[in-house]
Amino acid sequence: MHTTRGWLAAVATVGCALTWGAALSQGRPDDPLAVGRQMLADDNPGELWIERGKTLFYQKRGPRNASLNECDFGAGPGRLEGAATGLPRYFPDTDRVQDLESRLLTCMVELQGFKREELVKTAISPAGSNGSDAEALALYITSRSNGMKMNVSLSHRKEHDMYKSGEYLFYRRSGQTDFACVQCHGEANKRIRLQDLVHMTSKKGVQEVVSTWPAYRGSHFVVRTMQWRLSDCFWQMRLPELKYASDTSIALTTYLHYQGNGAVIKVPGFKR
Amino acid sequence: MPMKKTWLKWAVLGTPALIAAGCTTYPDQATTRQVAETMVSEDFSAPMPALLKRLVQDRSQQICSKIGDAKLTQEEAAEVVKLARASIQYPESGKLVGDWKAGDELAHDGAGDRIQFGSLEKRKGNGGLCQNCHALAPGEINVGNVGPSLTGYGMQRGSSEAVAKLTYERIFNAWGFAPCSNMPRLGANRHLTPEQVSHLVAYLIDPQSPINMK
Repeated sequence: MHTTRGWLAAVATVGCALTWGAALSQGRPDDPLAVGRQMLADDNPGELWIERGKTLFYQKRGPRNASLNECDFGAGPGRLEGAATGLPRYFPDTDRVQDLESRLLTCMVELQGFKREELVKTAISPAGSNGSDAEALALYITSRSNGMKMNVSLSHRKEHDMYKSGEYLFYRRSGQTDFACVQCHGEANKRIRLQDLVHMTSKKGVQEVVSTWPAYRGSHFVVRTMQWRLSDCFWQMRLPELKYASDTSIALTTYLHYQGNGAVIKVPGFKR
Repeated sequence: MPMKKTWLKWAVLGTPALIAAGCTTYPDQATTRQVAETMVSEDFSAPMPALLKRLVQDRSQQICSKIGDAKLTQEEAAEVVKLARASIQYPESGKLVGDWKAGDELAHDGAGDRIQFGSLEKRKGNGGLCQNCHALAPGEINVGNVGPSLTGYGMQRGSSEAVAKLTYERIFNAWGFAPCSNMPRLGANRHLTPEQVSHLVAYLIDPQSPINMK
């Protein structure tokens, strides 16, 4: 499996580079990298993670030797169909608004008996590794909403408060770069060097974000999640490290996901 | 543990939220700010506690964090400009135009001072980050477009003392000229030293610099 993945990734990378080169030499005014991404959409190495996530979900694991079959992502215990469309959402048992990954943590701790600190430490895998359990699980669970529309609700007060906090944080400038999210993601057709920046204050842009994570990241050879995406932004902003599954991360995700309501989920996405 | 933490947070900070919830359906701006600021203070880690200070906003950053389409008032813009002007420091040598070759290197360097896996990226000096957002020398493809093109910067403006001073100050603290623009206050925030800024000035205005070649 590892060899297959490496081969696929190599083809993907080369294919992407070739397509990009061809597009550029033709002087295409539109996004040349999109051509490469389109080409890869049907042959995404991230697909291999779905099966692994499925196995992990139903396997009896952890100190309590339990599966995640009783985990409730908002649609009822063990009901994964469409569950990701409503996340983040308020969960009465934890009395918190949780995104997919923080909910997954809750279940792995409560049902399977894993230690939260241990899970958090390994949740985001190193580039070029085999990926983490959390990444595979997040992808599998989200994939069970493929073809369905994002439909995040703010009907609970805590959901609405989380959304408002996320909005505030999206525009909050700090650190030595004076950046908030909006400095890079507030306008259309912008790039950092050659990397396209998603225009998140437009409906179309934010829908692209919320419907394509978890995604296979070509340059890292692993599946990445929204938690990773956010932490990587803070890294470039020169800010301290965002804690995994923290309220800050859930607030930003709530803000983006609600804005992206109506987007049709199609994971794994493919990112450069 | 999450239960306890949440309870504490709401007990300490939720009182205004509860009052607000009782009066109106939604939290007011001040409450949202308080709740979100508490998140920021709890949700990040750093190898050295001093690095957490990076999360704390200064007065200008607070003013410049308008939500959505909200606009700066004239008074706010004036305050940001005033603070920016007051922040500008010059190299001890007094030389505002440094070495364009060093500036060229800096302009294409996007590294330095990032925090990952519990450690701080330490180098001799931070990169200038210019390439991330600005078109530089003619023919360079790997450049961003968040900021305006700087190609031919010196050809258009010359390299007089006035141009050098203006350029230096704009890099050191862009908000003295364009309050709350996307451009980081590179010198004022201590991302770059005054000497490094002077090298970038040279890179921009020296007639020999690649940025001013046809």
